[in-house]
Amino acid sequence: MNRFVLSTGAVITAALVAVLMSGLGRDPKHIDSPLLGNAAPHFVMKSVGSAETIDIAKFRGKPVVLNFWATWCAPCWEEHPVLNETARAHPEVQFLGVVFQDEEAKIQDFLRRRGAAYPTVIDDGGRAAIAYGVGGVPETFILDANGTIVVKHDGPVSQEQLQSYLAEVVRK
Amino acid sequence: MILALILLLLDAPRATPLQGPALEQRTQEIASGLRCPVCQGLSIADSPSEMAVNMKAEVRSMLAKGYTREQIETYFVRSYGEFVLLEPKFQGVNALVWILPIAALILGAFAVRRVLRKLTAAPPSQPRVSADDPDLARVRELVKGATP
Repeated sequence: MNRFVLSTGAVITAALVAVLMSGLGRDPKHIDSPLLGNAAPHFVMKSVGSAETIDIAKFRGKPVVLNFWATWCAPCWEEHPVLNETARAHPEVQFLGVVFQDEEAKIQDFLRRRGAAYPTVIDDGGRAAIAYGVGGVPETFILDANGTIVVKHDGPVSQEQLQSYLAEVVRK
Repeated sequence: MILALILLLLDAPRATPLQGPALEQRTQEIASGLRCPVCQGLSIADSPSEMAVNMKAEVRSMLAKGYTREQIETYFVRSYGEFVLLEPKFQGVNALVWILPIAALILGAFAVRRVLRKLTAAPPSQPRVSADDPDLARVRELVKGATP
């Protein structure tokens, strides 16, 4: 009977340790997105530098690169030229910048100095960021032509990464 | 003015819209159970970060529209996953986190009870040497000889 108690105890302890250990190797800042494979949350937001609003639903039918960023985020400066360049090279893909936790004047100034190859909207109150499960900036979502989220990229995206993501949605 | 409309993809609100102190109290309760995604183990009720403030505002706004705690948590889980809940739900692999420590405790208590019962019910110890053991006879002889 003692052997039974010991072996059962060992099994329970091993299972408990395995469950707890499974979290140790993970990057605490990385959040697995449950939105992958699901329809992208819908939003209508004000465009930076104009009174117009942009409805993400109007881009249905073409792949979309949705980039969450802010002017105070240094890695966002790093990836901005990559996004601009790729947006110019891929007119069949709609790029859209979503800025949150920022001021419109600063965004306009940033875009004037660093270029803007695609529209940018301002996420007042961070509601779109919450709906997309954004944990920090920059974060980039790739939507296929049906509006399904196929990629979530944390941190600045490189030219190579972006090209490989686009190859996935453009050929579909 | 900035327009931002997020379709919540949730059912219609199932509770009475809250306002005033009840709204604030309920917001605080629900926010205490939601993890701030940009902090280390802090709830959105405790974190001063802008992200947490925005998330708390979203909780308040949903309660004011009549959404239930379950609907609000479902909304955040849909965006961030189970990670956003400070207390994992009792389902799937998460259930092990609740079950295993309890099972270990029960098993430990069972093992301690068995050992205690064995100790209290153990018969008096029997001599391990027989009466005619030559060594014992020698010891008896020596003890006898040493007696004044």
